Amino acid sequence: MSLLKQTALLLRMSLLGLPQRLGLVCTTVVGVTCAVGVLVSMLAMGVGARREAMANVRPDRASLLSVGALAPAQSSIAKATAVLVRDLPGIRRSASGEPIAVPQVSVFVQARRRISHTAVGFPMLGSGPGLTDYAPELRLTAGRMFRPGLRELIASNYCASEYEHFAAGDARVIQGSEWRVVGNFDLGRTEGVCIVYADADTILSAFGRDSYNQVNVMLQSPATFTELVEAIKANPLLRVEARHEAELAAANMQQVNGILDFVSYFVGTVLALAATIGAANSLYALVDSRRRELATLRAVGFGSPPVIASTLSEAILLALPGALIGAGLAWLLFNGRAASPFGFRFHLAVTPSLTLVGIVWALCMGLIGGLLPAVRAARVPVTVALRAT
Amino acid sequence: MRYFPLIWSALWRRPGRTMLVLLQVAVAFALFGLLQGMKTGVDEAIEKVRADVLFVGQSVQGEAPLPFAYMDRIRQVPGVQAVTFADGLLGTYRKPSDVVFMLAIEPSAMWLTLVPDIFKVLPQDLEALRRTRTGALITADVGKKYGWHVGDRIALTSSTLQRNGSGTWPFDIVGMVTDHEFGEAGFIVGNYSYLDEARALNKGTVRNFYVVVSDPRRAEAVGEAIDRTFANSASGTQSGSFRENAQQEMQSIGDLDFAIRWIVSAVLVALVFSTATMTMQTIRERTPELAVLKTVGFGDGTVFVLVAAESLLVYVAAALAGLALACVAFPLADKYVPGLSMPVEVVAIGVLGAVLVALVSVSVPGLRAAHLNVVDALAGR
Repeated sequence: MSLLKQTALLLRMSLLGLPQRLGLVCTTVVGVTCAVGVLVSMLAMGVGARREAMANVRPDRASLLSVGALAPAQSSIAKATAVLVRDLPGIRRSASGEPIAVPQVSVFVQARRRISHTAVGFPMLGSGPGLTDYAPELRLTAGRMFRPGLRELIASNYCASEYEHFAAGDARVIQGSEWRVVGNFDLGRTEGVCIVYADADTILSAFGRDSYNQVNVMLQSPATFTELVEAIKANPLLRVEARHEAELAAANMQQVNGILDFVSYFVGTVLALAATIGAANSLYALVDSRRRELATLRAVGFGSPPVIASTLSEAILLALPGALIGAGLAWLLFNGRAASPFGFRFHLAVTPSLTLVGIVWALCMGLIGGLLPAVRAARVPVTVALRAT
Repeated sequence: MRYFPLIWSALWRRPGRTMLVLLQVAVAFALFGLLQGMKTGVDEAIEKVRADVLFVGQSVQGEAPLPFAYMDRIRQVPGVQAVTFADGLLGTYRKPSDVVFMLAIEPSAMWLTLVPDIFKVLPQDLEALRRTRTGALITADVGKKYGWHVGDRIALTSSTLQRNGSGTWPFDIVGMVTDHEFGEAGFIVGNYSYLDEARALNKGTVRNFYVVVSDPRRAEAVGEAIDRTFANSASGTQSGSFRENAQQEMQSIGDLDFAIRWIVSAVLVALVFSTATMTMQTIRERTPELAVLKTVGFGDGTVFVLVAAESLLVYVAAALAGLALACVAFPLADKYVPGLSMPVEVVAIGVLGAVLVALVSVSVPGLRAAHLNVVDALAGR
């Protein structure tokens, strides 16, 4: 008999015998299920956070930062420059014929959580005129837009529900003077961070600053980005760089994602280790309970390699349903669920690619857990095994 | 207790299996210990931080530093008990990568009580610093790293220039301090008067003030009052108590509670299931032996206790080993999450959890063993 045929026969035999050893089978399946379930749900946090951060990103939007700035916080654009860049080519014009190039400044302010009353810092964005042209997804749900020159601000609905004094009509003290909350908005998705907009020039004077952080522009089409970059290059007076919105959003997420992924894989690995040991133990018991059967087979001419191969395949086959159930449970329990582990909120997303990661993880567990029992199955001396009770 | 040899021999009937169960439970509890220790460590660290000391810094990062003259005005704010301040000099020693931060203070007695949130210092060391203008107190870590000893003269290179245009700052090491987790970077304490007199720019300014309030419950109100005082000045202030600042820093970890709870429950479910089936298998294999025990007069209850005791022993031993393992891993994780600790409660919860899981997992197989029919079991039916 060929090697392959022997393996297939042995595998079929052991699979047929599985219903009699349901407890041991379940141990492997449940262990793998838990390990994969936890790994997939934790990774789903990272995927969800990434997805949410990129949800509003449009290919036809870009930001101008000062040369060499890695993030808006390090960038500084003088008021005069912000006026100059309005005339660059490739920038779309609003209904009133104005170029959609909106200067933005961000300052750090503090708010208190409604529930715990703990203070949380977050950036307040100062925007120049044309905010609604640049961000058409911004929809006021209460009140009105802030007016230029006045100490007025609008806050996202998340702010209003999570933090004190952000509902329309509230007043709050920022930088020693009173600001009025005149409206609330949402951004067409459940935005996870508290976003507060106010007039850029009012913020500049209130915080004693004289330059913006960035200028956000709406492009005529995604393709005109190169046109814009060329024009900036041709004008040495402009010390700015154009960046795609997607690029900045991704850079912004990098750190949080790094932590999330590290924690996920760390916890996932430890759990997988426990599940692998559990699987190894139950496979040992499975092999032990079939000692005489296996010895008989080897006595009638089955070789050691097919015994090893069939036991390994059995282990992997047992791990597979665990992976599917684990990923399925993660999807059922957590997909779309809101989490806010790093001060901003997002929804967990269990995707097919995550399921694939879970399956690969499970296969490794099956393979490693099955290795020693498989070798043992093939190496027990036939005479000893046959004599055993 | 007299049954102990019986339990012991039963445990090692299949040494491989017992070892694997031990290992599995230990790994699970190591994870539990790490996660829980992280949580309680953070909570404890926040609790330890003083709520009655405010850190008063610039309201906008990168703006001009705060004038030293603010000190008198802060003192007059109602509720303020004492005020001191600090400035800093960022320098390097020999190589550009050997960064040393000099915390410049006024060596007042207030530093003896501001402990341990910033650093701990003994009266004689503080006195030595007061006597030597160019004096510096070093931590044991930085001393070991660069081979510095009390009595040495060192020179730091800084981008903060002296009036004579030199960027070299000599210091005489006169004593030691114990710092509060300043991490890998070197940290020394020096005289503010030396720094302020010698530097070319930013004279008469400080990095921040430390304000002790008389009533910790009013810390927030006092902080707001201080910020209001300087709201219309050239440099605004931002005040927050040490406790509040620590809470903000630790926010991200505190919110992971949800994940921790779900992971721990998944681990426990898997563990109960796995060990229950293993015990079941063991009982099945040992049926004839258990039947003999019952034949010679062991009651149902005693047999149950014997089987349960085996599981308990394995679980508690493994849980303790796992928690110990987590403690060993703490220094490694310290890089990512500072202030990890394993308080007694976590160990207690761990052991209690182990006992509970052991009892749950042994209940079905244990009852089965207890209700064994002797005649059938001995006949192999």
